Amino acid sequence: MTLRDVDVAVIGSGPAGMAAAIKAKETGAENVVIMERAEQLGGLLHQCIHNGFGLLYFKEDLTGPEYAHRFVEKVMDSGVKPLLQTMVVGISPHRDVTAVSSQEGYITFRAKSIVLAMGCRERTRGALNIPGGRPAGIFTAGTAQRLVNVEGFVPGKKVVILGSGDVGMIMARRLTLEGAKVEAVVEILPYVGGLIRNEVQCLHDFNIPLLLEHTVSRIHGEKRVEAVTVARVDKDKNPIAGTGRQIECDTLLLSVGLIPENELSLMAGVELAPITGGPVVDEGRQTSVPGIFAGGNVVHVHDLVDNVSWESELAGQSAAEFIIGGKRAAGRRVNLKPGRNIRYIVPHTVSGEKEVSLYMRVNEPEEDVRLKVGSIMTKTVRAVKPGEMLKLELSQAQLSKLKEGTAEIVVDCEERGDR
Amino acid sequence: MAEVNIICIGCPLGCTATLTIGDGGEVAAITGCECKAGEKYVVEEYKNPVRVLTATVVTQGSPQPLLPVRTAVPIPKAKLLPGMKVLAKTRVKPPVKIGDVVIPNLLDTGIDVASTSDLAI
Repeated sequence: MTLRDVDVAVIGSGPAGMAAAIKAKETGAENVVIMERAEQLGGLLHQCIHNGFGLLYFKEDLTGPEYAHRFVEKVMDSGVKPLLQTMVVGISPHRDVTAVSSQEGYITFRAKSIVLAMGCRERTRGALNIPGGRPAGIFTAGTAQRLVNVEGFVPGKKVVILGSGDVGMIMARRLTLEGAKVEAVVEILPYVGGLIRNEVQCLHDFNIPLLLEHTVSRIHGEKRVEAVTVARVDKDKNPIAGTGRQIECDTLLLSVGLIPENELSLMAGVELAPITGGPVVDEGRQTSVPGIFAGGNVVHVHDLVDNVSWESELAGQSAAEFIIGGKRAAGRRVNLKPGRNIRYIVPHTVSGEKEVSLYMRVNEPEEDVRLKVGSIMTKTVRAVKPGEMLKLELSQAQLSKLKEGTAEIVVDCEERGDR
Repeated sequence: MAEVNIICIGCPLGCTATLTIGDGGEVAAITGCECKAGEKYVVEEYKNPVRVLTATVVTQGSPQPLLPVRTAVPIPKAKLLPGMKVLAKTRVKPPVKIGDVVIPNLLDTGIDVASTSDLAI
């Protein structure tokens, strides 16, 4: 078995991995490698051929492949070493990374620090338990996206999409442009899961019906999907008897949520947060295992790639500093606790020593609210939605208001009484 | 006088603006927008709704079956589906570099369709 020493091992070459690797190199780490199981760098960006990427990071409206290209060029110029067709199969708590490589076979890297950038995967039919047969024609939205945009196959002619996440709505438009008929987008919640711009530009533009508070209660067909039953749901999200109607279709796409991909993290002993499904991280994106950092959708599912890149740069910088400055002092750790109508906050802890951006999501849509970070900051916001991630920037001056010995800050999304 | 509803996409609020359209087609009044930037957007969206068309074209002589493409800038919304018909008839051969024009002047809009990726042989 081959053994090799590296400084920073980055696992995954999507937007998170590329940003982390470049930043680690810029920060001064010498031997930085990216391990990628596919034949090229860029991860899922290659199949996201639509625009809307980079509006914040590059101040330009780029497509996924264009956004990837910018970072691939930076990786090449930076001296980061990409290892393609290299699939990581294990990580030890002592930072041994084991991979199978098409060129070198079974290989173990002894890394001084690691950045986890494996991204996320889609929830499937198995997670939903939809009754009915097991016909062909049921795809996750992301699989359909790969078939249509990369492989060159349109998976069906009459399509129903379950779930109104961004990928589902984007596929509704994409399939319509390719000549398929999207019969409906069905959403169990009373509001759309994805971004408002996708609801308008993917559904309204093409008159695709959106059925809120509905779900697919049965899949019909033996060899191929022939129809689905769509029913209204009650407050507990259970189908209401007598409200079902059949929609004829040959394809059902599922856009029902993404799960951070953390099998490797668990092997390394990294603690995961139950709500996000990703590692518990500090403001430098260090996980519970010293020297192992994480960024992007492996930590929590983002809606904008720009934030993935920024967050992962933090992880890359910290991974390099871990090597250069020796082990980071434990320092002060203040827990961030989700309060009223806050689902989660990343990072999970802050040091209070330097400015930090908080990324968070709410549980329920609300209008006219005030975001309150303990007693150190408030910000009024006109509207919040679970599908649109919130970003709050805390300055050093605000953090300096933290009292000595503070162990926890509660972040609330409060109703504003003054409107 | 007629009324048109347009949803603003500027922020998560997603205001539904109601535009009152005069007999000459001019926007006479706007209600329902929470901010000035939103009003500007919905008027533009009423007068000239534009979108970037992103799609793929079939390749010949490349291991990669499709090449992703885009219109360089947004085109009128009404040209999206007609534009797809032009793309469907187009074939590209490698090598192609990111940014190369694949279809010049799509449907006489004066706007080019360009590659968003390299295409290797």
